[in-house]
Amino acid sequence: MIVYSMLIYGLINSAILALMALGFNLAFGISGVANFAYGAIYIVGGFITWTLISTLNIPYAISAISAIIIMGVFGALIYKFIIKRIRGLVMSEVIATFGISIVLLELLRYVGLIGFKYSLPVFIEGSVEILGAFVDIQRLLIIGLMVLIIIALYLFTHYTKTGLAFRGIAQEEHTSLSLGINPDRIASLSMGIGSALGTFAAIVILPLGTITVDSGYDVLISALSVCIVGGLGSTFGVIIASFIIGYAQTITAMYLAPHWTMLVSLLAILIILAVKPSGLLGHQKELEERV
Amino acid sequence: MKRIVLCLFFATLLVLTAYSASAQQYITLGVPTSLKLIEGYEGHKAAQLAVEEINARGGVKVGAEKRLLKIEALDIRDGEPGVPTSEALLGIEKLILDKKIYATVVGNFRSEALLAAMDIFSKYKVINIGTIAMTPKFQEKVLSDKEKYKYSFRSCLDSRYLAGYMQNMMKHVSSQFGYKKVFIATQDVLWATATGSMMEKWFKDNGWTVAGFDKYPVGASDFSAGLMKAKSAGAEVILPIFDMPTSGILVKQWKSMKIPALMAGFISPLMGTKAWKTFGEDIDGLMNVVFEIGYFPIKAYPPSVKFSEAYMKRWKEDIQSGHGAAPAYDAVYVLVNAIEKAGSLDSDKVVKAIEETDMVGVVGRVKFDNGHQLIFGDDPKTAAVGAVFQWQKGTMAVVWPNSIASAKIAKPSWMK
Repeated sequence: MIVYSMLIYGLINSAILALMALGFNLAFGISGVANFAYGAIYIVGGFITWTLISTLNIPYAISAISAIIIMGVFGALIYKFIIKRIRGLVMSEVIATFGISIVLLELLRYVGLIGFKYSLPVFIEGSVEILGAFVDIQRLLIIGLMVLIIIALYLFTHYTKTGLAFRGIAQEEHTSLSLGINPDRIASLSMGIGSALGTFAAIVILPLGTITVDSGYDVLISALSVCIVGGLGSTFGVIIASFIIGYAQTITAMYLAPHWTMLVSLLAILIILAVKPSGLLGHQKELEERV
Repeated sequence: MKRIVLCLFFATLLVLTAYSASAQQYITLGVPTSLKLIEGYEGHKAAQLAVEEINARGGVKVGAEKRLLKIEALDIRDGEPGVPTSEALLGIEKLILDKKIYATVVGNFRSEALLAAMDIFSKYKVINIGTIAMTPKFQEKVLSDKEKYKYSFRSCLDSRYLAGYMQNMMKHVSSQFGYKKVFIATQDVLWATATGSMMEKWFKDNGWTVAGFDKYPVGASDFSAGLMKAKSAGAEVILPIFDMPTSGILVKQWKSMKIPALMAGFISPLMGTKAWKTFGEDIDGLMNVVFEIGYFPIKAYPPSVKFSEAYMKRWKEDIQSGHGAAPAYDAVYVLVNAIEKAGSLDSDKVVKAIEETDMVGVVGRVKFDNGHQLIFGDDPKTAAVGAVFQWQKGTMAVVWPNSIASAKIAKPSWMK
């Protein structure tokens, strides 16, 4: 029975990692900007939702949608007013986005985002028994929502004009420019959608725990490690890496000790950088490495 | 014109003199602590409440005159990660020198900061009654040079008393249900793992089987692996030791996974009424060790009812931490009673009076041992008391010690 439990909870853990990483990966894949403010956006998105629900008594669904829109616009504005001016200067991009992250998170700490009371309600209460293991419904919802998001992203990038422009920019920015695609507009949009996805992940995942400032840094590390292992910019790579790291963490917690789980993603980064620096499915980068 | 200027000059002089005279009337108490952390935040408010009560009755009688009290708080942040001890010490020294404080209450979070601060208190002959840091090294240091470190006292429990309370809780569980198999889950920080290890040894020495011992990194939000292990190993009791905000999730998962074991230990975020508002029935059945009683109303001990109601009335919120606030309130009264008994503000005389303290506090009877540590026991009539409560349908029902217990331990619904 413990094996079934491990399989189920490993799947949930993998889905959580995938949800956390998809927004980061999308923004990087399109705009080429590693958004180090991603973890902060995740937490701020959760905090905005909490504020709307708890202090303004706005219904959960409206609060969640509002937070997703607000953070989506915020992500786009980060690109428009900060990243656009330094685009292409990788170090400057990292410093700028990490700076934004520190400002946001430490500001939340300063205003007193401390304590367990900052917690979002679960969508549906209760738990169900699957193969002898009890699993709460919120965790099952996370798996379903992850699948939905992946399908939605696939349809968006393959069957909509904007989505095709996303792929065009990701494949060859200069050629896309000659076809009338504005790279800055698309990059700004990708940062916005990436931030909105991060907020969506927060709204789905945070009901399992509490909104804490420090978890903003943890989310960034998780997203970064999944993307590095999967191959930065590759959605399919992100999904595979989520499953590898997710199951590795669950098995480690089960058969070694939970405090080793924090090393799993770091070890995965080390191994992938040593064996295949472009990540599991980072084909384009692999070509660049060879050159 | 000249006359007007002269009048203004003398008027200003008079105001300044009057202000300075009134300022001298105050005895200033310092609260150097981590004000943004819950124990520091509430400790400060509890001390402020005591000061206001004392001022409302006319102040402290020092010999023939009555003096008012006031509090100067400073956020020394020593409980926050990454803040060096030296910074906390500088804060304490600054408070002593700039604000001319007479004594401090609440004080350090981190034990190493407390031990280092004891030298500062000795240097300036400032009395400190600490209510948060818990190392037993405190008493050892006091006893190592009693004359030098006599200005330091502690009115909260130390880690040895905490371990004792946990052991008593397990004896109580065992006597009621006959359980002898435990799974330990702690936060991966020194105090929690040390307490867990101490308990592991105690379990083994007392005929219990330890089915597992998991340590979780700070910020962990998935405890399913440990809970599955506990279930498959047939653990009858899970002993959690945590103070991180995400540790409430452990109890939520315990319920959603229907783990057939009692959850009995210490989970700091689930100590107060807000925990029920946040987690609701998810935490029903959890047993938590209270470090010091007084912060929530216990009918069998009226001073706790009086204090928690007064706190609620003054600050419009309940106390949420089971550690620090009630001792901070008592600490101010200990100090004031000692000053009145000594009839003087001479620190050496007041220290002697504190050593002889024997009063009814909100944590129980307040008496200090030779190492200036508050004495704890299991009856508030004879000593300060910690307790074990269980969340039972939204109420914090005390299940141990028997002197103040109002309920028996109830198994969670899925265990029946």
